[in-house]
Amino acid sequence: MTLLSQIIQYAISGITSGSIYAIVGICWSTVFLISGVMNFATGEFVMLGGMLTWVFFDAGLGLAYAVILAITCTVLIAILLERIVIRPVRYPTEMTYMLITIASASVIKGIILITCGSETRTVKPFIEIEPINILGATLIPQAIVVTGVLVIVTLGLLWFFNYTLFGKALRASSINQIAASLIGVDVSKFRLFCFGLAGALGALAGIVITPIAFTGYNITPIAFTGYNIGLMAALKGLVVAIVGGWSIGGTVLAGLALGLVEGFVAGFISTGWKDALALSIMVLFLIFQTIDFSRRRRKIFP
Amino acid sequence: MKEDGRFKTNIPWLIFLTAIIVLPIIVRSNYIVSVMFFVAIYGMLSIGMGLLMGQAGLFSLAHPTWFGLGAYIPGILSARGIIPPLPGIFVGAICVALIAYIVGAPVLRLRGFYLACATFAIILIAQVVAAQLTNLTGGPEGLVGIPALSLGGFVFKTDLHFYYLSWAFCLGCYWFCSNLINSRIGCAMKSFHDSEVASQSIGVNVAKYKLQIFILTAVMASFAGSIFCFYLRFAVPDSFGFPLLVELLMMIIIGGVGHLRGPLTGTFVVLWLTELIHGYLGKIFPVMTNEVDAIFFGILIIIVLIFMPRGLTGWIDQLINLGRKLYDRFRGSTT
Repeated sequence: MTLLSQIIQYAISGITSGSIYAIVGICWSTVFLISGVMNFATGEFVMLGGMLTWVFFDAGLGLAYAVILAITCTVLIAILLERIVIRPVRYPTEMTYMLITIASASVIKGIILITCGSETRTVKPFIEIEPINILGATLIPQAIVVTGVLVIVTLGLLWFFNYTLFGKALRASSINQIAASLIGVDVSKFRLFCFGLAGALGALAGIVITPIAFTGYNITPIAFTGYNIGLMAALKGLVVAIVGGWSIGGTVLAGLALGLVEGFVAGFISTGWKDALALSIMVLFLIFQTIDFSRRRRKIFP
Repeated sequence: MKEDGRFKTNIPWLIFLTAIIVLPIIVRSNYIVSVMFFVAIYGMLSIGMGLLMGQAGLFSLAHPTWFGLGAYIPGILSARGIIPPLPGIFVGAICVALIAYIVGAPVLRLRGFYLACATFAIILIAQVVAAQLTNLTGGPEGLVGIPALSLGGFVFKTDLHFYYLSWAFCLGCYWFCSNLINSRIGCAMKSFHDSEVASQSIGVNVAKYKLQIFILTAVMASFAGSIFCFYLRFAVPDSFGFPLLVELLMMIIIGGVGHLRGPLTGTFVVLWLTELIHGYLGKIFPVMTNEVDAIFFGILIIIVLIFMPRGLTGWIDQLINLGRKLYDRFRGSTT
């Protein structure tokens, strides 16, 4: 392999994984902005999407039905999570929410481990064409699907949040919940909707990575699906959401950038250090934000 | 009044101390002694974490890292034969204090869950580093060849020896922390827990106290890690990661953070519940791993957070208060 084809190869896999990070990051920010909940169960939505698709696919349903059923089930689980676990908390603080979602994430993970086993799973690719060759690098069709899903999700959400009444009301309640409820926005219903949306997006991300099974230059981090992919997916999403400033555009950009950086680090240096890199980027970014450069304009955040 | 009150509160403490000393003499069971050893080890960790979260309001999750560093530094030093095990424990504690200073100084500027996210990331970074530096730490397969812990000519071999060692450290930490809470630093801690701006405006050096308390609890965790490492004579990166964090959070939440005895109670309850679950459900589920335990404990955390937000000890205190009130009312109506 020449250097050029290597670079292209790593860029392709970086963009593929970056798209996943971006979608998971959007899941975090939709929930966080509306309800103030740091939802650590986001990663489990990703895992549920993948595993349930495999379960339904293995039971003999068609791929399309399996995908639809998996998304529906994940949305239902997300809504139940909001209703049963997060709604009844008596003294809601950020920390209580965080702990309670970590606990529910481990419950979901354990149940999937018992019912589906600890092996990694995969389903057949969505579009069955030959891998495309670009200057010696291989572009697997599933990568196109992943990137396409990111584009559709981003454009769809941007349209939804900026041009529909419902989306505008959602943005309003993310800015000031009390003011929004004063002008007749039902904030509690919106929280439910946001959890459902996060569940759907997470499941979608989990589903599109399930068929990425490509031997050789496969440095995509979360290829296949298993009961334990949730934590890493959630953390990458959190990194991207924090660095992207909890907005959709920023999250997508940060996701793609993180994916590219990780792809090149994994390719040219070592795969083992890849996860530490993303997390140290987040820690450094957070610390960097606290430093007061101008000495005049004091920032309270974070 | 004050002398009297102090004496009264010390009676349960003395009973507890005697119980701990007498327990292995009465129950000659190796199993119970080894579980109680783990209660002491995890107790040291959870007391420190409970102090940080409950009293200081710092949501730092990096405790598994300090525990792991406390295990790895003396382990590596003694396995290479550079420093014997016992001084190694103290060298490890000093190193952990330095690392906690270097990490804590910038990270403690963050607030709320940004602090939680950053410290959470530190755990996973440390785990990756421990797994990647293969020639130093032995990589994912683990660090082997750690010699036995010895004091003078006395070698710590059986569970009983480690039981007394760990409880000595654990009760020492408890005593230290309970004194700390009533000291000047403790008052400062309570003030900036309630309002950072208010305590800053009356002249409390918040950043300094935060850093001090962070380092102190890190050193406590490092002692726990060292004893743990010399007990097992083995260390793997996986045992200092996310599952340990969830276990610690569980102990703290179930015990309650209102008082120092909360985390210790929580540790006791959680570890014995784990043993019970393993004993009774091992036959039903073929794979009894940490993840399967996590189902039960996850549900327990959710129930505790929803129905008794102050934990078991807070709940018991409430019951006692209720009983006292009823008793007073009853007495008032008869006289």
